[in-house]
Amino acid sequence: MKSTYTEIKESPKGKDSKMNIEVWEDLVNIKDLVISLIVCSVMALGGYFLAPNKPPKPLFFGLSGAILGFVICSIFIKPNRIFIETEQED
Amino acid sequence: MTTTLILQMIVAAVIAAIMYTIIGAAPGADETATIAPITLVLVLSGLHPAVILTFFISAIVACKLIDAVPVSTAGIPAGVMSTPMVEHAMVLKKFGLTDTSIRKIASGAVVGTFVSVPVSLFLARALVPFSTVIKQYGDPVFFIGAVLLALMSKNRWVALASILPFALLIQGLRHLYWGIGAVPKGTNVFTSFFLAITIGPVILTLFELLNKEKRESMKRFDKKSIYLKKAQEIGKFPNPFRILTKKEIVYSTMASLIGSVAFILSPVGLTTFFGELFASRTKDPVEKASLAISTMEALAQATYFSGTLIPLIALGIPLSPMSLGPANPLFNAPPVFTLQHNMHHILSGLDFISATLIGAAIASAFTYFVAVKYSQQICAFVFKKIPHEALLGLFFSLVLLLAFMDAGWINIAGVLLIGIVAGVLYRLGVNYGVLFMILYSAPWIIKTLAG
Repeated sequence: MKSTYTEIKESPKGKDSKMNIEVWEDLVNIKDLVISLIVCSVMALGGYFLAPNKPPKPLFFGLSGAILGFVICSIFIKPNRIFIETEQED
Repeated sequence: MTTTLILQMIVAAVIAAIMYTIIGAAPGADETATIAPITLVLVLSGLHPAVILTFFISAIVACKLIDAVPVSTAGIPAGVMSTPMVEHAMVLKKFGLTDTSIRKIASGAVVGTFVSVPVSLFLARALVPFSTVIKQYGDPVFFIGAVLLALMSKNRWVALASILPFALLIQGLRHLYWGIGAVPKGTNVFTSFFLAITIGPVILTLFELLNKEKRESMKRFDKKSIYLKKAQEIGKFPNPFRILTKKEIVYSTMASLIGSVAFILSPVGLTTFFGELFASRTKDPVEKASLAISTMEALAQATYFSGTLIPLIALGIPLSPMSLGPANPLFNAPPVFTLQHNMHHILSGLDFISATLIGAAIASAFTYFVAVKYSQQICAFVFKKIPHEALLGLFFSLVLLLAFMDAGWINIAGVLLIGIVAGVLYRLGVNYGVLFMILYSAPWIIKTLAG
């Protein structure tokens, strides 16, 4: 019974398993890209508007927001790279 | 120059070196897109110009030097500049010489820095008398620059044909902003247009994703497999000048000299041309490959320095591909820097020299050490932990933020528009240099057209 389950989980193979497209010389997953664009943008603009209205504070808050967004995305999104370490060179 | 300022410069150099050692190792991290927005933010924040210059110099050194790691270990270029080196680095990898490859590239970078810093500072001084001649022509200089860069590029006809329409788009938007009062009349929105051009190809791809047929017809990929060979442990720490053979040092030095003098030409073109030329006379494949990579890296560093420092010190206007791209915020970042008031006018000779030396020395030492000692760990960290999506998100959000700061909500649509057009032109074969030159010459072109 258990094996059927795993099979179902793995079933959408073939065309659908290839979900990544190439943007700027590396692969991205469309859904993850959209999430990342939204998270970073909201954090950046949010930081900008929440900051005390005395320059250059809004800019720094905005930048910090963008970087925080970047960190959040890096934690939740898995890179689409398979990393294979081979043994010592001969 | 006070002690506090020097301390700030050292801190800026250290931060830039660490930051760009990580960002620079990520695949596809273009120098303009990664360095220009951060530098811009720093300029706008009102930090002392000498601190910003130190940050910038440290960033370009670290960003270029760390290329050695992804290129040598995985054969993946970390930016446009390292693309020509991949082929040769792969030869070394095939012979099991990944470590040698990293060290040769890193040492080439150190040689390039060593040679080009004094040469660029000297050339800049020597060019000062000519600067008045060049500046007399003022505005048309950029138009002539756009035409010249277009003629020198691979797709010259499409580049030439796009000068007028693209200038029209830029000035058209500026006049619209004046008309509706988004910015005071006469204020040229610049920063966000510049960034829009930089990430134009990405914006175009994002719009294509919104089209159902386009999206479904896009090439789909599975995950990208990256093979990495385990490098050997390093016993004693290597001296960069001992790693290169005599011939490699001589050739790298020559290449750096050429790169410094030819600061006005495209860095990628120069690197490919001279790297291949110098290496072509060597037969042994390993010897040839290591000569090619060390020479190319030295030359690339040299064009970075000369392309930034010479226009900055001698002219104060961006007249090299480097100063039009990554170094642009040092010349023009309104309201802090304008072409009449930027680092060229503010900083003294001593400021320039100390900023360059502090930035270059700290980044070279730090990144060289890290690249040689921890190549494995960096590669693993960047490839496993930093998703490309997050990098794109970061740059996109910075562009949005600066677009809003430049001219309000309407400018976000304006930036998307310029991004789409610039992206299409870029795909048609118009290079960044031409597009940036058009951005600079647009006011003059339209004024002349209107008569």
